[in-house]
Amino acid sequence: MASQDSVMIHTDQVLVEEKSSARILVLNRPKQLNALSYPMISRLLELFLAYEADPNVNLIILKGNGRAFCAGGDVAAVVHDIRKANWKSGAQFFSKEFILNYVMATYTKPQVSILNGIVMGGGNGVTMHGRFRVATETSVFAMPETALGLFPDVGASYFLSRLPGFFGEYVGLTGARLDGAEMLACGLATHFVPATKLSLLEEALYKVDSSDPAIISAIIDCYSQKPKLKDLSAYKRLDVIDRCFSRKTVEDILSALERESMDKADDWINNTIWSLKKASPTSLKISLRSIREGRIQGVGQCLTREFRMVCHVMEGKLSKDFFEGCRAILLDKDRNPKWEPARLELISEGMVEQYFSRMDDEEWDDLKLPSRSNFVLPGHAIAKL
Amino acid sequence: MSSESPTDRASRRTRILSNHLTTSDLQVGGNSLQSNICLSYSPPELHEKIEFEVRKMRELLDVHNLRDRDWLFGLMMQSKLFNPQEKGGKVFVMPDFNHTKEQQREMTMKRIEYLLERGVFDGWLTTRGPETEMRKFAFMETLGIFDQSLAIKIGVHFFLWGGAIQFFGTKRHHDKWLRDTETYRIKGCFAMTELGHGSNVRGIETVATYDPKTDEFVITTPCESAQKYWIGGAANHATHTVVFSQLNINGRNQGVHAFIVQLRDFDGNICPNIRIADCGHKIGLNGVDNGRIWFDNVRIPRENLLNSVADVTPDGQYKSAIQDPDQRFAAFLAPLTSGRVTISLSAIYSAQIGLAIAIRYALSRRAFSFVPNEPEVLLLDYPSHQRRLLPLVAKTYAMTCAGNYLKKMYVKRTPESNKTIHVVSSGFKAVLTWHNMRTLQECREACGGQGLKTENQVGHLKGEYDVQSTFEGDNNVLMQQVSKALLGEFIAAKKKNKPFKGLGLEYMNEHWPVIPSQLTSDILRSSNFQITALRLRERDLLNRFAAEMSQHQSNGVNKEYAFALGYQLAEDLGRAFSDRIIFETFLNDEGTVSTGPMKDAVGKLRSLYALTCMEEDAAFLRYGYLSTEKAAAVRAEVAKLCSELRPHALGLVSSFGVPSAFLSPIAFNWIDSNAWSSSSA
Repeated sequence: MASQDSVMIHTDQVLVEEKSSARILVLNRPKQLNALSYPMISRLLELFLAYEADPNVNLIILKGNGRAFCAGGDVAAVVHDIRKANWKSGAQFFSKEFILNYVMATYTKPQVSILNGIVMGGGNGVTMHGRFRVATETSVFAMPETALGLFPDVGASYFLSRLPGFFGEYVGLTGARLDGAEMLACGLATHFVPATKLSLLEEALYKVDSSDPAIISAIIDCYSQKPKLKDLSAYKRLDVIDRCFSRKTVEDILSALERESMDKADDWINNTIWSLKKASPTSLKISLRSIREGRIQGVGQCLTREFRMVCHVMEGKLSKDFFEGCRAILLDKDRNPKWEPARLELISEGMVEQYFSRMDDEEWDDLKLPSRSNFVLPGHAIAKL
Repeated sequence: MSSESPTDRASRRTRILSNHLTTSDLQVGGNSLQSNICLSYSPPELHEKIEFEVRKMRELLDVHNLRDRDWLFGLMMQSKLFNPQEKGGKVFVMPDFNHTKEQQREMTMKRIEYLLERGVFDGWLTTRGPETEMRKFAFMETLGIFDQSLAIKIGVHFFLWGGAIQFFGTKRHHDKWLRDTETYRIKGCFAMTELGHGSNVRGIETVATYDPKTDEFVITTPCESAQKYWIGGAANHATHTVVFSQLNINGRNQGVHAFIVQLRDFDGNICPNIRIADCGHKIGLNGVDNGRIWFDNVRIPRENLLNSVADVTPDGQYKSAIQDPDQRFAAFLAPLTSGRVTISLSAIYSAQIGLAIAIRYALSRRAFSFVPNEPEVLLLDYPSHQRRLLPLVAKTYAMTCAGNYLKKMYVKRTPESNKTIHVVSSGFKAVLTWHNMRTLQECREACGGQGLKTENQVGHLKGEYDVQSTFEGDNNVLMQQVSKALLGEFIAAKKKNKPFKGLGLEYMNEHWPVIPSQLTSDILRSSNFQITALRLRERDLLNRFAAEMSQHQSNGVNKEYAFALGYQLAEDLGRAFSDRIIFETFLNDEGTVSTGPMKDAVGKLRSLYALTCMEEDAAFLRYGYLSTEKAAAVRAEVAKLCSELRPHALGLVSSFGVPSAFLSPIAFNWIDSNAWSSSSA
């Protein structure tokens, strides 16, 4: 695999290849669909920080080993940690993960992520903040957290809220899956390259020897296609999505959808309603508010706020839905979580508000974002602050 | 060229070549080298520290319906109707001011239809109570942050037309019009002002005559000066209007009354016997279709009289519970205070936009060096720039708190509090809108040439907001009304030898306060000293004003003319009253903040507000409340406070909570937004 002038550095879970001034990082837990473990996140952060300081590195390529890009954060391990110790050990995981997301969002060198296979949850956190996201015909995107009693985190309140219209609310609340063509259409992906051309693209990128995004973009363009949206694509329903998901509350969104389905029932609307009904009501409410706040915040503020929210979720004082969701989906796999509170109308604005407040714990701090003031950030990173 | 000697030519060529070489060197070097030679935008977020929690500070300022506001911001940002434009990697929403006034008006109407469809106006007229009213205020403030035309157009329809139906009308009007107004099935406007009469509503010349034979009123514009003027919504869209008119019954004038008249049919055709003309292009607010209306004996059913205060029976009898026409007129217009409340608030949000832009620019733009070859200095690190902008920030904070106080008082209004609301809203409307215009001008200048570009807001907003000192009562007239009311309190207390009560004048019952002989920094920053100084000024001006009025009257000058002559003190007093209440509300809100960095910052702002009031008003020196030495101490303390607030500048303007999309390119990466690659537009 390695050519003569490249060096392979083996660690367990993140493989590193060096090709002239490009560094290829490969997520390598194929059996777990490359779910991000704490060691992986730590290693990625370490590598990103080192490459930023290394004048020999111009470009980072991120990809996954096997049929998935990344199924998300290793939530089962987090739950295990919390059971063994306390919520703070779970929160440590997110702290490291969010810091990695922030470094990627404000990175001085281009990151090209090759989204072959599924890319979900935390997997989006390590890709969507980067400069280039290459989808393929095998890509499957989702932020499925509301079905798990969590909320779209890893800076999703930043990148989902900036999708066209109210598509971000739709994707974030329902956990809808998108294919590569849809990812490109809505802007989650910057390019679409057929999987068969990926190795040629990578070869070309090894030779770039430049950090200039315009040059890199032009190279990816050479291998890109304009895929056709499938007939039943959600992205073709943007008018309905805008009408319904722009509503003020989750309850209003649901009743708007129900009105639409009465006018003209179809599978897509029914599935959408069904996804919302099966998700954790608390998750839906805090997710909607998170996306709405994220729309008017910078990426750092988004991650800081999401960290507060995730701490409250991990602490389990306000609701235990996350643990119930993990039990039902990941551990017992009965797919029948018992949410508490069980209905939207039982969750007041005040209860939602608590998720956004500082933890009531003297020894616990807000997320400490690393200082980026010593770097000359590229324009697209500055725009995210 | 021909006159150039060979050596000149050679040296010129060398110069050009070496320029090429340096340029290509730069390109090879990439980012790190470029930053040493070219200016690069350094975002304030990365080098400024924010010591308090912005979220908490925003809550102190916005207080209520924060989620509703954020939702509405999002609704506007996510729709193409709000003209999103990418500049320097960020998206900004702003009306397209290259549009003609006709296009701007159509866009305003389309935006209203979009907001209507999303449920923004649900319950605006069909539900009542403080909660609905506060939500409406929050939405009006948020809409005005996008575009003043949009807010005004909605305000005219809901608050003026809708408010007239609600407050001047009775059940038959409510049942017939409110729901249709809320859903925009009908579009309302408010025809009060005439070419010949503005602030003096009682002088209007339109006439309504009752015809008992047909059970109708006949509305007439008797002369050109009676044409209705500046009627927002009339030129293009309104289907109905409330007309203010003298009521003529059996040849007797019963004073000004309000009637409903249909202007257009549902296809938009102007109704018979009505003529409408455009007010033309304006210096701002071109998204509002201001028009002029003439009524040529328009017949309307008797039921179209808004009869909450007075009615006419089918046989032409005039009935009113209030006999005195003065009182009747006052009772009639009292509910219209909401206009002054909304204007005061929108003035503050406009000042917030201006300051957020100018301060953010001053935190990223450099000019000149203190030491040769050293980096140039950030604009906001110049004490002069701090002095220009930071006292305006302090005032805007104080006035935001004052606006919240006014809102609360308005939504909890009772018949007893109407007078206080009238006086306070008059004073605030004048002081806050003047503050906004001054702030925008200072911000425009503080942004230099960039302030002149429409896309950068600060300059353009001056045109949009200039009208605020005129509509809903000319500011100077309002200030005189405040002073008149204060004089009324003064005379009542002195004549009946009763203590002052209300309008915060209770302190007048105490002894005259004394300003300490030494003004140390601690004293200058104590709220005790500050309130004493502000009360001393108000009290003394009120005494002087009362003395002047009584002097005039003992010289045989009539009351109204005496007021006209006393304009100097009247205006000073109106300002002194408003400043004092603003200070009190700010101090009160400061008291709700728990100890910590946020309270420290608010305390400094409060001191800066009070001391700037003292520094700027010549009355403190003119009447000797402060000696020249003490005035100098105040001035020195203002400069000191500015330098202490400098590190908080970014946090203070971020707490205004205006999303970046509603600011302007110059507040962010102004180098990228002006780059050649983004210059196609």
